[in-house]
Order: sequence, then C-alpha cells, then structure tokens
Amino acid sequence: MLKIHGLKKKFGNFQALDGLDMEIEEGALYGFVGPNGAGKTTAIKIITGLLRPDEGSIEIGGKDALLYREDVKESFGYVPDEFGMYDNLKVLEYMIFFASCYGYSGLMGRNRCMELLEQVKLSEKADFFVDSLSRGMKQRLCLARALIHDPEFLVLDEPTSGMDPRTRMEFKEMLRELCAEGKTILVSSHILSELSQMCTDIGIIDAGKIVLSGNMAEILQKVNNSNPLLIKVCGNQEEAIRLLRENICVTTISIREENIAVRFCGDKKAEAELLRSLVSAGIPVNGFIREQGDLESIFMQITNHDMERVVLNGEE
Amino acid sequence: MPFIILTFNGILAAAALLNMYSAVAQVRISASIQYTSFLQLYAFVAILEFLLLMFIMPALTTGSISGERERRTLELLFTTKMTPGDIVMGKLFSALSQLLVLVVSSFPMLLLTFVYGSMDFMDLGLLFLCFVVTAVFSGGIGIFASSLMRRSTFSNVCTYGLLLLSVAGTYMVNLFLYNMSQMQINNMVFRLGESRPSANSGAAVYLLLINPMVTFAEILGNQVTGGAEWFSVGRFLEGSPGGFIASHWVLVSLLVQSVLAVCFVRGAIYFLDPERNEKK
Repeated sequence: MLKIHGLKKKFGNFQALDGLDMEIEEGALYGFVGPNGAGKTTAIKIITGLLRPDEGSIEIGGKDALLYREDVKESFGYVPDEFGMYDNLKVLEYMIFFASCYGYSGLMGRNRCMELLEQVKLSEKADFFVDSLSRGMKQRLCLARALIHDPEFLVLDEPTSGMDPRTRMEFKEMLRELCAEGKTILVSSHILSELSQMCTDIGIIDAGKIVLSGNMAEILQKVNNSNPLLIKVCGNQEEAIRLLRENICVTTISIREENIAVRFCGDKKAEAELLRSLVSAGIPVNGFIREQGDLESIFMQITNHDMERVVLNGEE
Repeated sequence: MPFIILTFNGILAAAALLNMYSAVAQVRISASIQYTSFLQLYAFVAILEFLLLMFIMPALTTGSISGERERRTLELLFTTKMTPGDIVMGKLFSALSQLLVLVVSSFPMLLLTFVYGSMDFMDLGLLFLCFVVTAVFSGGIGIFASSLMRRSTFSNVCTYGLLLLSVAGTYMVNLFLYNMSQMQINNMVFRLGESRPSANSGAAVYLLLINPMVTFAEILGNQVTGGAEWFSVGRFLEGSPGGFIASHWVLVSLLVQSVLAVCFVRGAIYFLDPERNEKK
C-alpha cells in the first residue's frame, strides 16, 4: 500500500528525515514509533502531501504520491495529532461539510455521514455542537471524517494521546475492526504497550531513519530469544548453578532476587534438555521461563543503546 | 442572516419613509416638490452600502484562512479534494454572497428614485458594478493578508493597513502634491493678461485609480448633482491634459481595481499552497 524510499527533509540546519525507507503491506496495522523529534510527524505530513520532501519517493496504492498528489488524496484519510474542529458547527453539519469537500452532496452525502457516525458510535450526538463533545468523541468524529470517502489507507498521528484508558480501548477496537474490513492503517503513538497489542507490523524511527521494522510477532520473538531464562529452584541453588555452568549453551549466570537469570543461546529443544538435566539431578525446579520482551524495551534498546541494536538486528 | 437582512432593510425603509413623508409635507406647505430629496435618499443608501462593502467585506475575509490555520482545520482541507484555489475562491465567494445579498435586497429602496424619473437602469447597473468591484477588491486584500499571515490579528492589521493605504494614502499624497502646486502658483508673478495655471497633483493623480472611494464618489457625483464633490478626482486633474484615462476615469479605475483584486486572489492562492509552506 505504501512504499517510501530514501526520503529526506531538512528544516534549516535540522535534518528531520535522513533517507527514510518504509513499506506497509495492504491490510496491515502499522505502528510508527520513535522518540520526540525523530521525524514521525514530518514523515506523516509528507505522506499526506502537506509537505514536500527534498529527496526520495513515495508510492501510495502503486501511484507516485509526489507526482499525482491530487489523485492519491482519494486513497487515504488523515487524522492529525491536533484535530481541527469548527466549533460553531453541529456534528452532522461538520461531517456534511467535509463530505461536500469530497464531492458527496445531498441525500447521498447525508446518508454516508449518518452511516459513519453510527460506525463510530456518535449517531446520538449528531445534533450536538462539536464544541460540546469530549476529547474521545472528537477523536472518533475525526476518524469518521477521515473515512468519508472510504479510503483504503488511513494515516493517524498520535490518535489516542490525551484519552482515558476506556476511550483508548474503544478507539483501538475501532481500528482493529477497520483493519479487519481490509483497510491499511498507519498509526503513530507514544503508548507503546497499546501498539504492541494492536499492530500487526511496526516501524521504529530514530533520527529520521527507520532503525527497526517488520512483523510485530517476529520482532517480539527475536527479542524474547535474546532475553535471559529465569529459573527458580527450591533450595540447592549452588548445585543448580554448578549444573548450569556445565551446559555449553549457557553464556552468563546471574542471581535476580529468587531467580537465576541465565543467558542461553540454545533453541527450544536445548531449553527442554536443560530443564530435564536439572530435574533429573534432583533439583526442585518450580519456575523455568524466558523473560518476556515488550515493545517498550525494544524501543528503549533501539533508541538508547547501539550495542543492543546490533543484537536485535541479528548482526552479531 | 435573514435577521440581518430584515434589520438592515428595515432601517433603510424607515429612512425612505421619513424622507418621503418630509417631501410630501413640504408639498402641503409650499405646493412644490423637492425632487432632490429623493436623490439624497439614493445617495444615503448608496453610501451606506458602499461603506458596508468597503469595510465589512475585509472583516469577513481577513480571518478566513488564518482562522482555519489557528483552528488547525486548514491541513484537513488540504487532504481533501480541495485545491488552494478552491479554498480561496470558496472563502471569497462566501463573504461576497453574504454582503451582496444585503446589497441586492436593498435595491428596491434605490428604485424609489425611479418614481421621479431621475435615474435609469444604466445608473443602477454602474453602481452595482462598482459595488461588486469594491467588494472583490477589499475582500481580495483581506484574503491575501489572511493567506500571508499566520495569525488573524496580524492579518487584520495588514488588511486594514493596505485598505487605508489605497483609500487615505493615495488621497493624502494627491492632496499634498495639489497643495504644493497651489503654493507654487501663488508665489508666481504673472504679467498682466497672463492666465494663472491651475493647480494639480501631476502624475500622482493616477494613484487614485486604485482608490475605490474615489471611483464611487465619481459615480455618485455624476448621478447625484453635488454629490460627494469633496472626494472627487476632478480637482486633482485640473490643468492636466485630459487623456483617455481622465475621460473614462470610472471604467478605467474599475478595471484597474479588478486587475488588482485578481492579483490579490492569485497571491493568496500562491501563499496558501502547502508545498510552499515548508515550515514544520
């Protein structure tokens, strides 16, 4: 759906994007994360045609977005980080106004707007002034507006910032439903735990470049494999440590509270073998688990520690 | 809007009725009718409408684009099928339609002068053309400033600054040069029988072509005897060789103002283009 190659953008002396490469498959829910000033919003503004890059190419739905800017507008919907509202308009009027901007007018436009308000659970608020809506409702209205022309691709910039947990959950559910309907979604957010639960793919941007991207499950698996095994034994810890030292797959051993943390480079089969050797030596093992990695830890590793980045990318 | 139309026309109608009442009352006393009182009514309505267009139109347009920027809705409009040209023209015509509805709805009041045969449709057509050009010109200035400036406050200052420059600025320059010329003539020594040259403001008089108030004063001055002479371009032209522009002042000035209005609108479209606005 989206292909970006070598995107560069400079504001004065500040290099906001430095050769950004990115690819989003059709039907993906792509999480776009990065620290403040990494270039997320600049990239999104270029994708949506609000900025022009200094270098690079963008394809949306197979069309050159820089060459056919007006044509590609049809294929995406945009929800900005600070959603603009006309406070003197009612919810339905707001929707009808934007529907007319896309060429939907009369009864057809009205019906389309009502249908979308129903979809985002705002049909009961159709006659309310936009100003009177809560932040969560405004964001849902903004999503409905972005869907007016039934785009294949949705771009959302920090859509859940400032929302309470329940509203965030509902919004997340809505995005999942849209994704299930076949829409491709690019969502940037700082709430990483949320992205890891919701997204199928992820791209981490740092200093204007994508430093890690791919399928979410694969990335988490990769991180998990590099995480230590946490082994909990009932007494006889010295004997357990002695046995662990004898195993060739064990690289380092450390004590973490009641657990023995073991850096283990073997596969699942080797892990099972290690557990069997401990049990057969008469050591009572009541905990044997691989420490779980999360998006937050990946993000911290990627954006803070270069050494860890090498491990993650498998470039040892 | 209906309420504004009703109030505006209600005031005009009340003024017209009072005017007619005083004319009829005078007939009762002196057995003669003052036709000029109907022309005064015409001038009153025309001046009111002109000032409305001249100063309210920029107020409607000056915050139209900068307001969208401040509300953060401009980005949303750019991502729709609308082009910068569509947005600018939409804003301009929205303001224009609001005011022209007011103007057109009050035309029956102007038509009262038809009863006494002192006006014809050509006069009214010319006045309407002047109104449209003035509205587009002042609205164009407003939308240009709105597109150029990021904040509505600055846009307001810029709009009324430009408007003041075109109305008061051009007039003051001419007045200054005219008075200088007058002073020079007063200090000259003439032989007996030699005629005194007339004072004029020289080539600066052509600056008045961009002054909508002068154009309006010329039209009204021609239609209503003795109307708005204080603002007439005639005094600054005295003694100047009468060329095509001097003899077709109204049409030329309307044309110049139309061209300027188009330039302002084009400028607004240019400055609105997101590809030009490369600030993050």
